[in-house]
Amino acid sequence: MDTLLALLTVFTQPQLFLLVGLGTFLGVYIGAIPGLSVTMAVSILISFTFSWDVYPAISLMVGIYMGGVYGGSRTAILLNIPGAPSAIATAMDGYPMAQRGEAGEAIGVTTVMSFFGGLVGIAVLALAAPFVAEFALTFQPRDYMLLAVLGILLVGSLSAGSLLKGIFAGALGIAIGAVGRDPLTFAERFTFDFQIMEGGISFIAVMIGMFGISEALLQLHHVGAEAMRQKIDRIVPSWSTVRKYLPLSLQTSSIGVIIGALPGTGGDIAALMAYDHAKRVTKKPTRPFGTGAMEGLVAPETANNAAVGGAFVPMMTLGIPGDAVTAIMIGALFIHGLNPGPMLMVDQPQMFWFIVGALLTANVFILICGLTGIKLFTKIVEMPRAVLIPLIMLLSVVGAYAVNNSVTDVYWMLGFGVFGYFMRHYGYPLGPVILGVILSRLLDDNWRRAIISEREDLGAFSAGIFGSPLSLTLLLVVVAIFVSQTPVYAMLKSRISKRAADQA
Amino acid sequence: MKTFLAGLSLLAMTGGSALAADYPVKEIQGIIQWGAGGSTDTVMRAVTPHAAEALGGNIVMQNKTGGVGAIALRYVQQQDADGYTLLMGAENPQMYKVLGLGTDDYTDMVPINVLARGVPMFVANNDAPYNSMTEFVEYAKANPGEVRVGSTGPGGLTSIVLAMLTDQEDVEFTRVPYDGDGPALTALQGGAIDVMPAVLGAAIEGVKAGRMKVIGLVDTQPNDLLPGVVPITEEIPGFADYLPWGPFFGVFVKKGTPDEVVAELQAAYAEGAKNPDFIELMEDRGFIVMSIAGDEAMDFLESYRSTSSWLVHDAGFSKKSPEEFDIPRP
Repeated sequence: MDTLLALLTVFTQPQLFLLVGLGTFLGVYIGAIPGLSVTMAVSILISFTFSWDVYPAISLMVGIYMGGVYGGSRTAILLNIPGAPSAIATAMDGYPMAQRGEAGEAIGVTTVMSFFGGLVGIAVLALAAPFVAEFALTFQPRDYMLLAVLGILLVGSLSAGSLLKGIFAGALGIAIGAVGRDPLTFAERFTFDFQIMEGGISFIAVMIGMFGISEALLQLHHVGAEAMRQKIDRIVPSWSTVRKYLPLSLQTSSIGVIIGALPGTGGDIAALMAYDHAKRVTKKPTRPFGTGAMEGLVAPETANNAAVGGAFVPMMTLGIPGDAVTAIMIGALFIHGLNPGPMLMVDQPQMFWFIVGALLTANVFILICGLTGIKLFTKIVEMPRAVLIPLIMLLSVVGAYAVNNSVTDVYWMLGFGVFGYFMRHYGYPLGPVILGVILSRLLDDNWRRAIISEREDLGAFSAGIFGSPLSLTLLLVVVAIFVSQTPVYAMLKSRISKRAADQA
Repeated sequence: MKTFLAGLSLLAMTGGSALAADYPVKEIQGIIQWGAGGSTDTVMRAVTPHAAEALGGNIVMQNKTGGVGAIALRYVQQQDADGYTLLMGAENPQMYKVLGLGTDDYTDMVPINVLARGVPMFVANNDAPYNSMTEFVEYAKANPGEVRVGSTGPGGLTSIVLAMLTDQEDVEFTRVPYDGDGPALTALQGGAIDVMPAVLGAAIEGVKAGRMKVIGLVDTQPNDLLPGVVPITEEIPGFADYLPWGPFFGVFVKKGTPDEVVAELQAAYAEGAKNPDFIELMEDRGFIVMSIAGDEAMDFLESYRSTSSWLVHDAGFSKKSPEEFDIPRP
């Protein structure tokens, strides 16, 4: 009974309910603007809500978090500029849809599927948080390393056209991620003794430059062209459409929850993995992937919203942040006099249920905020390019500066923008670069941790992998995906089907 | 022309002193050296609103991370010495010089308030076959290199506490690097590492819940939050040479800031640190509230720097000798 009351706190207090709504609304717009990140918004809110009670403060933060993760898809679909790293995969099929004049439909489906993904995440949080948290804790450095290797194999799905160019782009990304003082030993890497390189290259700056600036430069080619008229009569997807993608979204949501719950990986990796998964399991996509496949939109959007619920799992049960935003929320709980940790669930279970309730409310507000105001948003794409392009440039500069209040990041962003423009020109995909930057540290740090803990003994390291069911499973998945991308697999497949035909 | 210039400079001077008198006339920037959600961030965001209230001004905080905090310090040192840019940092800068991470440390700045000090402790995985420092040292001696200890990079708390231990006892560990005590303590619970020296506040909740155990308290006094745990000096008396030692949080301004401004800021933060909410927050997390300024703060900073610099130097991972910077041996 107490549980139910705590869960319903948000609904019974109009003030809290409205704060969650306001947060979600703001979050959608903050998330939509590249560079204005949820992490930043939530950390500003800590000072802003300092004198408030803990419930209203948390309500607003939860709303912004949920809304922001969803909002990233908006600009990804409309402008090909992901508003947040977790929306990179969304742009790959979302933007081609907008180019066909189907932005309204794309946003509609994204909204409903984000809602669904969010729901799966919250359900797992509410029903299985302690189990999922214990499972997440069993991940050893070698498992994180294998996960990163698995991520790197996604280069294959993210490279439209030449795989070779995709691999080059991915390798470049990994190198960019390694620049700066190595956080484990403080040794300088690829800094060439420039002070400016010491802090590393902000990955958000790379992302904004590569997607924002390069897109704006590319659009300059058609500055006079008439903008595509958008059809906005079919926004809310029909029940049959939703039902069709339900099995896929259930799978991708599960990926989202698990990746979100692991401390050290978040919605960005979850969305990319989900995209890759969709590409593998979907036999007949609505259109080929990369040209506006609905499946390519559904997968990352369900996964990144499911990852929100996932990120709260270790935070609420163990006081361990699942990602950057939950890390800040832990700080907020401290400031408000709570002690987030393993005892929070025991001492103050009402806090847990209150957050579950707030997440549910925010999820519903996503549907409301998402399905209204689409008309206004699609107008953005219909704007004359002479207005749109400077606007993109401006937002990119502001966004890059805001990440760390550093002008250096703006220079990096502009540099990578111009570089990205030429990469696109010569058919190099940009997705793998960002993938490389995201995975660079995950791979590097965990490989070193894994091998150092085995006292640099490769034999003991391998024994560790083969001795643990989790590591072994991850290794087998890596091998299977790798083999499936080589000619060996095609050869085997045709031989098996031939044998089956012979027997028949 | 000359009189005009003189008049102008006079105007500028009176303007300047007027500025100091009604400081603050504009928003004050607070640069937090570490990322959002970390302990420095939490402490600063908890105390600053109270200090701002006492000051009657507005302090806007932002996080500027990178280079173990050196980027934030360098930024503050590049601004005008007018008291409108505050550095909100942790202990790290005191090691910049010997580790070659930067040219300035807190002795090149003016302390506004050294707010609090943390107490380090050794925590271990629940399954570890040792329950005290004596047992731990015995085990480590019997199995050299087998114990995996989490570390947070040279100059970090773990490296210095381990340097104290290896200075006293002949032990060998495998050091697994993590970027922060949070991730390392997570790894400890998952069994990826066996032992971790960490600040009390970071591990206390895990200890209370029985997810990890304390094997040593690196202080000269027992701690109320850890009933039944003896201070390390009772097991390894040699530690008394370095203690009390611990990470700290403080607010600093650039050297050359007008004295009146420094005094106003010091008064404001001293007032802010008296706030019961802040004190409760700090005590819950096991931090010892100090709230010191002036010479007292300088002595504390100097003692931290000399103990840590020489430990690091003797352990062989300094880039430069403390002698180069006239850092006296403790």
